[in-house]
Amino acid sequence: MPAMRVEGLTKHYGEPPHQVRALAGVDLQIDQGEFVAIVGRSGSGKTTMLDCVGLLMRPTAGRVLLDGVDTGTLNERERAELRSHRIGFIFQEFNLLPTMTAMDNILLPLRYSGGDRKAARTRAEALLNEVGLADRSHHHPTELSGGEQQRIAIARSLINQPTLVLGDEPMGEVDTETASMLLGLMRRINGESQVSFLIVTHDLELASRTDRIIRLRDGHLIDDERLAPEAVTWVTQAGVRR
Amino acid sequence: MEIVRNLWQRKLRSVLTISGILMGIFALTTMGSMAQHFNVLLQGGITYYGNSVQVADENGGTFTSGCMSLSTLDEIRGVDGVAAAFPTVGVVAKPGSSDVVTFGIPDYITNYAPGSGHYSAFKMSLARGTWVTDASRNQVDLGSAFAAEFKKQVGDTIELPVRPGDAKSDFVIHRFTVVGLINRTLTAPDNGAFVSTHDAQTLQGESMPAALRSQVDPYQLVSGVVAYGRPGVNLDALADRITREVPTAKAAKPSTLVQSFKAGGAVFTFITTAAAVLALIIGGLSVVNTMIMSVTERVREIGLKKAIGAKTHHILTEFLAEASLMGLIGGALGFLLGAALTVALDAGDPSGGLFLVTPHLAVLSLGFAIALGAGAGLMPAIRAARMDPVTALRSQ
Repeated sequence: MPAMRVEGLTKHYGEPPHQVRALAGVDLQIDQGEFVAIVGRSGSGKTTMLDCVGLLMRPTAGRVLLDGVDTGTLNERERAELRSHRIGFIFQEFNLLPTMTAMDNILLPLRYSGGDRKAARTRAEALLNEVGLADRSHHHPTELSGGEQQRIAIARSLINQPTLVLGDEPMGEVDTETASMLLGLMRRINGESQVSFLIVTHDLELASRTDRIIRLRDGHLIDDERLAPEAVTWVTQAGVRR
Repeated sequence: MEIVRNLWQRKLRSVLTISGILMGIFALTTMGSMAQHFNVLLQGGITYYGNSVQVADENGGTFTSGCMSLSTLDEIRGVDGVAAAFPTVGVVAKPGSSDVVTFGIPDYITNYAPGSGHYSAFKMSLARGTWVTDASRNQVDLGSAFAAEFKKQVGDTIELPVRPGDAKSDFVIHRFTVVGLINRTLTAPDNGAFVSTHDAQTLQGESMPAALRSQVDPYQLVSGVVAYGRPGVNLDALADRITREVPTAKAAKPSTLVQSFKAGGAVFTFITTAAAVLALIIGGLSVVNTMIMSVTERVREIGLKKAIGAKTHHILTEFLAEASLMGLIGGALGFLLGAALTVALDAGDPSGGLFLVTPHLAVLSLGFAIALGAGAGLMPAIRAARMDPVTALRSQ
């Protein structure tokens, strides 16, 4: 079963005659465990696509199916529920709450999804270990570097064991080396847990390290390039090339 | 914990907002405790006067110092429907002090009529000692505020009436032995000194103008009579019957007296309400302002929370909890400060104090403060809860 499928995804902003067409009938399917990059110029519809897939925005037309569920039939409460359990978000500006420690930020989604807090805490500790910040769990965001904050945000996106993680320019606020490290981290998690990743990036070099590159232009999907496994080179957190 | 951290992060604003609520609840507590005091005082009057008929001299009002003949007492006892009637004889305990403005009941000396307690709905009890009897001479039972003011215990002696600074040469004082201390009633008897009817008549006679004193037998005069009706008897009708059948007496309808007490209570209820409105305005506007700013500053946070699964009610609850917590903190501090002030003021008031801080008032103040915080925070919280996550996440 695909992790996500969109059919004829269309999104218009505003009313005629000043209407802006952000997406114009995009069809796309992402299988479980795929690591996909969306690239395109500013205004191509990348972020709108992510917002629609992330159930943050309703499309003007078309369907978004998550794990086979047609999300267009769901009310806001059900969409929030599905978002909480099936989707993880990583943002460009990290969006960690400054009043909370790293551990509390990772556990924040639990507040809205419910579930066993003790098990979640164990999972959060494991995730902190996974992202290499086990010793920073009690630090606040202001005490962490940009790369560290984004690693915490990655851990937060995974705490509810989603099937799909959406990243909106997740490496956009860090330097090249850190960006490469973050991508390596996400790919490692992707390989280990089979969580699908859909990330928006303007960095073609980073995009080339994913399984697949989707190119958007003016709201249209103009290219869907599947990269051969041997062509995908990426660096793990430990710096080992696989 | 997150709520506390949020408040702590914006310390100055939180402190100012909490101060606004504090001031409001402080006003509510002090005004409310004063209103409570007077309402209890008035409730005592309602209880006492509601089940008895106050009879005075035909020319005097119930609360005037007019005297009536003791023989009138027997005539009243003979009126159909009267179960019992007792004489009342009273004088002020501090003559010459009546020109001093007081919010409470001035200290007074009155007779204790054994047996009247059986009929009266207003019950008094002794904390210590014994009641005076008709045969008692120079013995007194003191109300709680009276005893506290003069620091008297059972066995002590007290000179009554209290000699005024400008007392005339013929001013007479008597030494009484305290034989009983009356439990606190929070109403009129707290400021009373209760002596035998004979002793009260002596004091009443001595309080009369010198010209009159030599012409009357003080032991044939009473200040008034209190009559109790038989079970089922309409007391207003009984009052009319007494007035009609006893030419030298004028009885007040209990319903009229009760109504006047209730009217007094309404004034104090208005004072409490006014204080509550004050709290509402000061505290409410502070909370509204703070919460609107808080929502504005945390738009991205709201967007994030919605993105990771927060539903409308989650956001609503979080902001309401924050506003309510400010209400609770401001309310608790305001109540404690208000209560402390009333205790301090009452401690310096020999007449027993002006304020009454009760658990009911504490619950009212805190409940009002929390409701105030939540109510004022509702509009900003709804605004936050309805925020579009995409717009919120993109905001700067």
